[in-house]
Amino acid sequence: MAETTEPILEVRGLVKHYPLTSGILFKKQVGAVKAVDGVDFELARGETLGIVGESGCGKSTVAKMLVNLERPTAGEIRYKGEDITRLSGKALKSVRRNIQMVFQDPYTSLNPRMTVGDIIGEAYDIHPEVAPKGDRRRRVQELLDVVGLNPEYVNRYPHQFSGGQRQRIGIARGLALRPEIIVADEPVSALDVSVQAQVINLMGRLQDEFDLSYIFIAHDLSIVRHISDRVGVMYLGRIVETGRDAEIYDHPTHPYTQALLSAVPVPDPEAREHRERIILAGDVPSPTNIPSGCRFRTRCWKARERCALEVPALAVPAEFRSVSGPAAHDSACHFAEEKQVVPPEGEGEGEGSGPG
Amino acid sequence: MLLEVRDLHVEFHTRDGVAKAVNGVDYGVDAGETLAVLGESGSGKSVTAQTIMGILDVPPGRITAGEILFEGRDLLKLKEQERRKVRGAKMAMIFQDALSSLNPVLTVGAQLAEMFTVHRGMSRKDAHAKAIELMDRVRIPAARERVKQYPHQFSGGMRQRIMIAMAMALEPKLIIADEPTTALDVTVQAQVMDLLAELQRELRMGLILITHDLGVVADVADKIAVMYAGRIVETAPVHDIYKAPAHPYTRGLLESIPRLDQKGQELYAIKGLPPNLTRIPPGCAFHPRCPMARDVCRTDVPPLYDVTESDAERGSACHFWRECLHG
Repeated sequence: MAETTEPILEVRGLVKHYPLTSGILFKKQVGAVKAVDGVDFELARGETLGIVGESGCGKSTVAKMLVNLERPTAGEIRYKGEDITRLSGKALKSVRRNIQMVFQDPYTSLNPRMTVGDIIGEAYDIHPEVAPKGDRRRRVQELLDVVGLNPEYVNRYPHQFSGGQRQRIGIARGLALRPEIIVADEPVSALDVSVQAQVINLMGRLQDEFDLSYIFIAHDLSIVRHISDRVGVMYLGRIVETGRDAEIYDHPTHPYTQALLSAVPVPDPEAREHRERIILAGDVPSPTNIPSGCRFRTRCWKARERCALEVPALAVPAEFRSVSGPAAHDSACHFAEEKQVVPPEGEGEGEGSGPG
Repeated sequence: MLLEVRDLHVEFHTRDGVAKAVNGVDYGVDAGETLAVLGESGSGKSVTAQTIMGILDVPPGRITAGEILFEGRDLLKLKEQERRKVRGAKMAMIFQDALSSLNPVLTVGAQLAEMFTVHRGMSRKDAHAKAIELMDRVRIPAARERVKQYPHQFSGGMRQRIMIAMAMALEPKLIIADEPTTALDVTVQAQVMDLLAELQRELRMGLILITHDLGVVADVADKIAVMYAGRIVETAPVHDIYKAPAHPYTRGLLESIPRLDQKGQELYAIKGLPPNLTRIPPGCAFHPRCPMARDVCRTDVPPLYDVTESDAERGSACHFWRECLHG
């Protein structure tokens, strides 16, 4: 689990703005889509950091920058202390080997004209130092076995597999180069419930087996809680609250996190009556035109004058600085207060599942 | 009973053979009641709904047996002309993907007004006024201006509201909502489900909610039908099923979802995959994945046993429902 040594990944002030231009010949910039607008976090070795947020909050853009598919507009991504956003050529290639990605859609992220063996083995063409030529087929078959697929399937094509099996292929591809960090962007959201559990369990097992660190990006709060050690909640390009899973889920202090948690349907009909729902008004503002001050204020029921003037910093709020309880974690709100929104379990009735 | 589906069978002719999508489904909804139909992809939940609405593509689909009684009449025996009068006016459907269900080249106002000009013979001016009223009713801000906008100018949640408005337009008796909030974010999902439930209460409509989300079901349903490989494997009032499922598939589903209120260790996972509908296993279709399966499960198709214990009706298509319910 989390160690106190130097983090394996450190992100500081990460920004990605996409320019909006007008004119055909003489393009001039008229604005920017502020997809990511100042994100900081760190990831310890062997740890899982979950990033949650609604569509358009910038979580996938963060993922793309981490694996260098997008260049940040500003900010640093330090991998073992070295800023990888400025790297190129050989140095970049060797860093990329260590940070791999698993994509959301197992139907479009696998090339339909390549066999499974070629899809997974392609990584070895680019990084031949990982596996000598004659050894590759065996390596690929080993990987298939590791992710729970029959090693005989190396010559099959993606369409011959179900969604869950394809996601396993995607995971095998991510593992091929023995990376240290895996960035998984919504890895189970396209799968059926019964298959979701299989893939989540697989990811948990692989983490122990290969000592992986995960950045796990999802919109499903229950899944994120299940898999993460720490959680960051994103809204409109920024992290608004971050802490250990119990701090965020049981003691949220940011109003957005509270609203988000209260909106999640809980699979328990008894909870219907005594559960308080915070229903947010309106939609997320456009990332081209972010509200001044606190970016959540346009939908916040607590917003006051100060919220429009001052950007709240992501830090332990003043009122919790003196206490050491679970409420004392980073939350970017001027008027942070604790509120329990997830009803504690154990409303009578045994679950029937138990530990076994 | 407002709607009653009896022993419905639907199959599709495909290159790989005959896919048996629906294999003897029975369910019913009363006015003002919400039935949740729960199942994974390929369980036949959407095909059943399409058959009820009369929008199944025939061919490749084929209804081989069954009855759909709506207010006492068998819809499958109606002529297409009469069917059209039922569809839209008496029963309406809300689809998952609002963007592709709305016409991109017509304003939302025109699409809403069409309901009234076609079904009610209203003038275009009256219909336009009705469209604004409907948009107000589903709480779209600035309805008077936005009625002239096109679907792409609305956010996902707003588009789904327009779909709801369209379905509600003629105050139907029955609404079928096929994964209405699956494409939406959680905070928006809560808004939309709230709206749907409120309008349903107001108009005392029957609602068939098709979903795979056990959380949404727990929030709004009165009773549940769980589908697997084209059959109903369990049916029960919502409170009973979460407390004590009577079918191993339902039980597996409930145990396999991560919980918001606790951090789990290993999740329970139902082994294997849902069956290919062209080759449904003999006996109980769930037996290859079932932890309780025995010899009889491989040969005998379990009927939907009556497992009623208290006053509410319950059914389970498992030979060993007693063990599942009590063990």
